[in-house]
Amino acid sequence: MSGIRPAQQIAERLIRSACRRLPADERAERLREWTAELHAILDDESVRPSWLRGMRALAFCVGIAWATRQLSRLAPTTSRSVGNSRWRSGAPRARPNDTAVRIAVGLGVYAAVVAAVIALLRVHPGPRGWPFLLLVALGIGFDGYCLADIARASQVRYLPKWAWVLICLAQTPAGGIAYLCAGRVGRARSAPPSPAPQP
Amino acid sequence: MKLTGPLERVLRVLVADPAAQHYGYDLMKAARLPSGTLYPMLARLQQEGLVDSEWEEQRPDAGGRPPRKYYRLTAEGARVARLELARAPAARGTSRHVAAGPARPMPGSAR
Repeated sequence: MSGIRPAQQIAERLIRSACRRLPADERAERLREWTAELHAILDDESVRPSWLRGMRALAFCVGIAWATRQLSRLAPTTSRSVGNSRWRSGAPRARPNDTAVRIAVGLGVYAAVVAAVIALLRVHPGPRGWPFLLLVALGIGFDGYCLADIARASQVRYLPKWAWVLICLAQTPAGGIAYLCAGRVGRARSAPPSPAPQP
Repeated sequence: MKLTGPLERVLRVLVADPAAQHYGYDLMKAARLPSGTLYPMLARLQQEGLVDSEWEEQRPDAGGRPPRKYYRLTAEGARVARLELARAPAARGTSRHVAAGPARPMPGSAR
């Protein structure tokens, strides 16, 4: 059961934060409903081992985050809650080809850097050589750039800011590229001046 | 109502025993759907009056677990569901894309 407790705590937090997106009159009831479902998932003895139930509970929460987004669209506009977090589900989705271009550019740059570093490491092998230090410096610089960009952005897409920060730090080049491709709201064109507009 | 694959699976589970009460996790397992698909669907069905929900009464033998919210078909819902499901195999067998109409736009793209 030891794996269950942290999963339950994380899951309850995720559900609470997802419910903030709902209109105020729905929020408490949904929170009660989904917390009860969470208990049902975590107590489901037919799923073994217990950590698998924890994983299911977390997957459930990810779905809930998606569901509240849909439900808040379903609700009448007048009673829609104004979220109290800095990131907003109102951040416009990227146009698909825009995202595709960004992903292509990101992967291209990533591939070029990897190829360059591999080539340099062949010339100067070993963990002490300057290509290795260059790689570390590049990683730190890139992380710093991404974190600065997240910090300055008025809103980010799809995930809360803290999640993007974690992703950037956890997977040094890939996380940052994912953020720049998917999470970044282009400042010049698509950032709305106020957090109000909703589809 | 447009009968999508997930909707069809949920309706089949609900129609199998129209009087039965299902809570969300129960439906997720039976229809093999993720929560992100199921709950918006239930909310839409409820808005259309095809499904209603009620809270489980807190029983002393429940072992302290919180009361669940149960869903089931309304009488109208059972009628509509049977009708749609009866039509479904034919529509699916021939040309699915034509029968199903244009795909639902991605959420957020409609504005």
